[in-house]
This record gives sequence, C-alpha cells and structure tokens, in this order.
Amino acid sequence: MKNRLRVLRAEREWSQQDLAERLGVSRQSVNAIETGRYDPSLPLAFRIAEVFGLPIEAIFQRDSEA
Amino acid sequence: MALSQARNPAIRRYFKRFVPITVAYLASIGLATWIIPDDAPANAVTIGLAILPGLAVLGWIWAMGRLLVELDDEYLRMLEVRKMLVATGITLALTSVWGILELYSPEVPRLPVFFVFPLWCIGLALGQLFNRFTIGDGGTCA
Repeated sequence: MKNRLRVLRAEREWSQQDLAERLGVSRQSVNAIETGRYDPSLPLAFRIAEVFGLPIEAIFQRDSEA
Repeated sequence: MALSQARNPAIRRYFKRFVPITVAYLASIGLATWIIPDDAPANAVTIGLAILPGLAVLGWIWAMGRLLVELDDEYLRMLEVRKMLVATGITLALTSVWGILELYSPEVPRLPVFFVFPLWCIGLALGQLFNRFTIGDGGTCA
C-alpha cells in the first residue's frame, strides 16, 4: 500500500515527531508508515485521516492504483 | 533502544518491572546454589529454595505479557510480537531436534530443561536482529 503521508506532512510543515504526537504513536511508527514498511490498522488509518482532515482514500492507495 | 521508544509509558513500566525481577532472580539463584548441595534430597527446603528463581522467571513472563497488553502503539507491539514469535520458533526447533537426538542416541548430552527459557531469551535477541534486517527497526531490548 502506498501513502501520501510525507507530502501531507510537509504541506503542514509538521515533523514526524509532530505527527506522531498528534496521532498518539511513536515517531518510529510514523516513519515506518511513511516509508511503506508498515501498513497501519484501520483504526489508525482513520485517526491519520482525521488528523489531516481528509478521507482515507485521499491518503492511502493500493499499489495498483498509484 | 530508540529515544521515542523509551518515552513510551508501557516500555518504561516494563523496565521498572524487569529490573527488580532480575535482581530477585540473580539473588535467588545465588542463594539456591549456595545453600543446596549437589546431592541434596528433594525435601521441602530444597524444593522451596529451587522454586524461588522459578517464580522470578514467571515474573519475567508476566512482565512481557503486560508489555504486550499495555503497548498502545501498534507498530511497536508488532515488533515485540515478531521477536517473540522468532524466539518461540527457534526454541521449539532446537529443543525438539535435540530432544529427538537424546531419544535415539544415548551418547548425546542431556539438555537440562532449565536452559529452555534462557534459550528463548537468546531467541528474542535474534528476533530483534530479524526485525532490524527485515523492517529496519529492532524493537525494545525486552
């Protein structure tokens, strides 16, 4: 699964730590999700969407869609 | 351990539990070794002293279980679970194969069951390396 986390974070000038604190997870988690090494659970994906104020599908895409 | 992991309250609590349990284990192993002679009969004193380090091992297992329950960061929890799975796989593989060797070859030295838990802990370290090489993060030093 691909995601636009890095771009969305950069647009808001948030560091990985900033985003991690907003999500209530570790910076490593944000880094792992951003770099595609970890796909978040559905509840965490919803939290990420909520933090960015976007629908999940605007943040995460299947590899075939990218 | 990465700084962001050290900030996690569940991991901090784990280490707060781990240290006294380790001290209790080392003290009780030392006490049992000092008091119980090699040819001691299996009486109440011997069994009582020998069970003390066993209780500390139960404490370690409890602390690790609590870590999994209390870790609210799903990524860090996944790293821990992967480490434990690797450790369990290695322990089962080695003890099973060695057990079969013991069964069919009397010349093979007997592996005391005492070593199963230390072997599993070595497996945790290997699991951490496995995480590091496959995902890029090791996990805690649990």
